[in-house]
Amino acid sequence: MFFALTDEQRALQDSVRRFTADRFGLRSVREVWDDADGDGDPPELWKAVADQGWLAGLVPERFGGLGLGLLDAAVIARCWGEAVAPGPLPATTVAAEAIRLGGSDEQQREWLPRVAAAEVRLTLAVGGVSVHDGALSGVVDHVEYPHVADRIVVVGPDGMWLVDPAGPGVTVTRHDALDRSTRLGTVALQRAPGEPLRADAASDVLDRGAVLCANDLVGVARQALTRTVDYVRTREQFGRPVGSFQALKHALADLHVAVSMAEHAGWYSAHALDEARPDADRAVSVAKAKAGQAARDTTAAMIQFHGGIGYTWEHDAHFYFKRAKREEYQYGDTPTHLERLARLAFDGG
Amino acid sequence: MDVSYEPETERFRAEFRGWLEANLPAEWRASGYWERLDSDEAFATRREWEAGKARAGFAGIEWPTEFGGRGGTPAMKAVYDEEMAVANAPRTVNSLGLVFLAPTVMAIGTDEQKRDIVKPLLYNEVIWCQGFSEPGAGSDLAAVALRADVDGDDYVLNGQKTWTSNARHADMMFALARTDRAAERHQGLSMLLVDLHAPGVDVRPLKQLSGATEFGEVFFTDVRVPLAAVLGAENRGWQVAMLLLSFERGASAMGQYTAFRREVNDILALARRTGRDRDPLLRQAIGRSVVELECLRLHSLHVLTEVEQGRELGAAASMTKLQWSETHQDIGELFTDVAGLAHQIGEPALQQSFLWSRSETIWGGTSQIQRNIVAERLLGLPR
Repeated sequence: MFFALTDEQRALQDSVRRFTADRFGLRSVREVWDDADGDGDPPELWKAVADQGWLAGLVPERFGGLGLGLLDAAVIARCWGEAVAPGPLPATTVAAEAIRLGGSDEQQREWLPRVAAAEVRLTLAVGGVSVHDGALSGVVDHVEYPHVADRIVVVGPDGMWLVDPAGPGVTVTRHDALDRSTRLGTVALQRAPGEPLRADAASDVLDRGAVLCANDLVGVARQALTRTVDYVRTREQFGRPVGSFQALKHALADLHVAVSMAEHAGWYSAHALDEARPDADRAVSVAKAKAGQAARDTTAAMIQFHGGIGYTWEHDAHFYFKRAKREEYQYGDTPTHLERLARLAFDGG
Repeated sequence: MDVSYEPETERFRAEFRGWLEANLPAEWRASGYWERLDSDEAFATRREWEAGKARAGFAGIEWPTEFGGRGGTPAMKAVYDEEMAVANAPRTVNSLGLVFLAPTVMAIGTDEQKRDIVKPLLYNEVIWCQGFSEPGAGSDLAAVALRADVDGDDYVLNGQKTWTSNARHADMMFALARTDRAAERHQGLSMLLVDLHAPGVDVRPLKQLSGATEFGEVFFTDVRVPLAAVLGAENRGWQVAMLLLSFERGASAMGQYTAFRREVNDILALARRTGRDRDPLLRQAIGRSVVELECLRLHSLHVLTEVEQGRELGAAASMTKLQWSETHQDIGELFTDVAGLAHQIGEPALQQSFLWSRSETIWGGTSQIQRNIVAERLLGLPR
């Protein structure tokens, strides 16, 4: 029995945390937030992704990667959430999984070495896309970083394709979304050519996306809680720290329990997929539902317990609050995952 | 990460499962069996069965063999709890002795206490209860007022304990009593080992809201307890009580998880029978219960790993208590939501469990006290 990260995984966690703390802290995050017209993809951060090999983990060794598991990627996702870090690393990670799991040998050879070296950016567009004579049509909203992507993995009801955003019939429109740490856009396809990927890999890819998203949410929630606790320990009203009042203590204790449970569920969901455990489906939905709720509650408490300053643009609380809100609805919202858990329970899972 | 158990642990599981199959009557496993029995009869039956289990070597799983234990690991204890719950085996009748008193005696008892207390407790020859709560000392345990005045070779006890689990069936009580009334309130307490059959002890059953009378109040009028019957030093009772409570901390909640999971399965079966399985709002509530239950299981694996790595758990036990007790209450509400008004008259096992779950956020430290502990000791918030 060893329900914990290995020494190597802890070392990876330390190195990502050290980088974001020293080189891409909240001041850098704020610059991205305040630059609404920018592409939201800071080059120094992407350079670190390349230098540190943060996209190489899931790529098999024969394609120049490290051949690690989803749990290792979850460690990075967790740190990314803690840092409320911007950029297309999460989208690229999930889209590369679509190529690894659903791509032909040729497609893997073409893309995975460049993913491992962070030479390309990818993203995932999930929506009601239809296919006629091999051409794709449909509009997919809320796609992460389509404007910087070299390829878009389109996931529709009837299949999964690799689409070149610069190709014919593809229009990308950017939006100014609430969470500016992750830029969203609309991808409109009008008889756009797409290279097919194996359709039966799609549900696994989306589960993997849910796991990474859940771990990012856990990072957001843990940071929001830690920062709030630090604040209420020192902020004084009525001649004493406000953190000494039970109204706050009990709420924060409940949040600590919730975030701790979400941490367990986040790690386990990645492990369950890595090992193809029989309860993997359940583990994914438990992780996403728990992390979504924990992050929603914790980031809301962060604003509330900071009082007036917590509701200002200049305070960092809204970075966490808005990121948590976005991720709550990605890769299946909470009711979707709860319904899946009910179905699995009735099916005896 | 590796969530499998060692081969040795799995061998132990298979052996214990085999013993349970051979020695646990099939009718005992049926839902509602124990609820239909007279409570004294049920207690006597469970006491005897549990003693037989101990004689077969399936008790004191993680205790050293010199104390009659099996000399097993924390993982084996977790597997034992799991298998007991899977089999729907009757829970121990001597839990306060097993969980709290015996490990404390093994740690700080005299040689005589180790000899006289541990094995008789393991074989249910002596049933123990805990004398902590009083009418004026609930969450504020240091307010204990039971007087123990020295007279010759004895303490003389006067006062009252209340909410005493097992009071009706217990032979002995480990009781926190005030041996020095002049000292600061944490300093004047001692942990006394009191014979409940002694003259001057009056045990009165209390009827709980569930209708059961498994706890009671205990009155002491000039009850004589030998001076030697102190666990730890005189006036060190507070420290002994804290040590005693610490033995619950490493405990895994795998037993609770397994038992609650079975309750959820019974609720799902009820929903299917009544067609409530199609109600989308109930399905959301079912999903939420699954989330919290699975988190409880994973938290148990985390605790087990920490214990095996030799780490001090400390206040983290409060998180375990909050997670299992609050989850169980949610499952109770899920039962009434699925059953509707039928919960008033049917499903005796689920009904009793639903009622009992209201006590679980009170005994062993209320949820409010647990939240104080989490906030102050884990988050470092000021008192």
